[in-house]
Amino acid sequence: MVVPWQGISLRKVLEKFEPNGNAKFVEFTTLKRPTEMVGQRASFSGIDWPYVEGLRMDEAMHPLSIMVTGLFGKPLPKQNGAPWRLMVPWKYGFKSGKSIVRIRFMAKPPRTTWSLLAPNEYGFYANVNPKVAHPRWSQASERRLPSSLLSPNRRPTMPFNGYANEVAGLYSGMDLRRFF
Amino acid sequence: MIWSWWIALILFAAPGLWALVAIVVDIGNPGQMLGADAGETLVRHFGEWGLRMLLVTLALSSLRRRAGFTQAIRLRRLAGLTAFTYLSLHGLSYLWFLAGFEWLQIREDLVERAYITVGFAAWLILSVLAVTSTRGWQRRLRQRWQTLHALIYLAIPLGILHLLWLTKAGYAEALVYALVYAILMIERLLARRSRQTAS
Repeated sequence: MVVPWQGISLRKVLEKFEPNGNAKFVEFTTLKRPTEMVGQRASFSGIDWPYVEGLRMDEAMHPLSIMVTGLFGKPLPKQNGAPWRLMVPWKYGFKSGKSIVRIRFMAKPPRTTWSLLAPNEYGFYANVNPKVAHPRWSQASERRLPSSLLSPNRRPTMPFNGYANEVAGLYSGMDLRRFF
Repeated sequence: MIWSWWIALILFAAPGLWALVAIVVDIGNPGQMLGADAGETLVRHFGEWGLRMLLVTLALSSLRRRAGFTQAIRLRRLAGLTAFTYLSLHGLSYLWFLAGFEWLQIREDLVERAYITVGFAAWLILSVLAVTSTRGWQRRLRQRWQTLHALIYLAIPLGILHLLWLTKAGYAEALVYALVYAILMIERLLARRSRQTAS
């Protein structure tokens, strides 16, 4: 889906804390509140709450990374990650953690939830890449929502979700198959 | 046909009738009954009910043995064919609503998505069982019919594996199906053992 997120530049948020030279990565922790968030009570989910995600410093400071506070002109609803959530549009959706309650600068890469759950399936970078398949399925095509029953709107996936011009430079020289 | 067959027909057909209504409503009013991702909802719906009907098919034999419901055997073919119908609709929904009949994409899916490979394998097995479900084929194959239809014990685990392999998180659903299958299989093995010791 092409979603009209509204918010503030993540850079503006992080600059307020004046990170020093040791800050190479940023870690984002999501709210853990099973009394309210029913999904967090599920057994056998495989997910070790709270949900944790992270970015490299230059990714976090990039103009396309935002802290989202609104959606379609209204305040962010709970199911979309109220009161604010991350949005890193050139990466797979699981990188954009919701209901962020803690932000931490780190010298080493944060240990993120999905890469702990299935390290061979979910990497730290998780850049949208049609050429690198998930072990169990291909990433080469996508169905763009809204898609109606009779026209599924299947299309080829674009490298970096279409933001290659803006972000490919962050990864020049990196083997994106190895750093998936 | 015995009265219980008609009752079973209505019950077994209910998920299919719901889907028909939902599709008609959704075409006129997208999102009304099938949610934001109608194709995905339908594929899931038919897959779930197909798998459940396969387990019902097994359970009918257990019902006859343990609850004395002798008519259960006459419902078994109906249950099996219902399962095959739902799983065929499951496959058709995927081909139409998710893959848009793009055969290059579908061939890639079949090869690169292992869960689709095993799902398709399960469907192939079930199609053989469906075709040979008639009394004509039972007569033609005799004892070999029993052996052939034991392939159900391969098809169901492939179906559960299909579900497990497509799961990203939340393994409870696949575990429940596996548990039910295990219980039905234990019941079967115990029944076979007591038949052997009895005779």
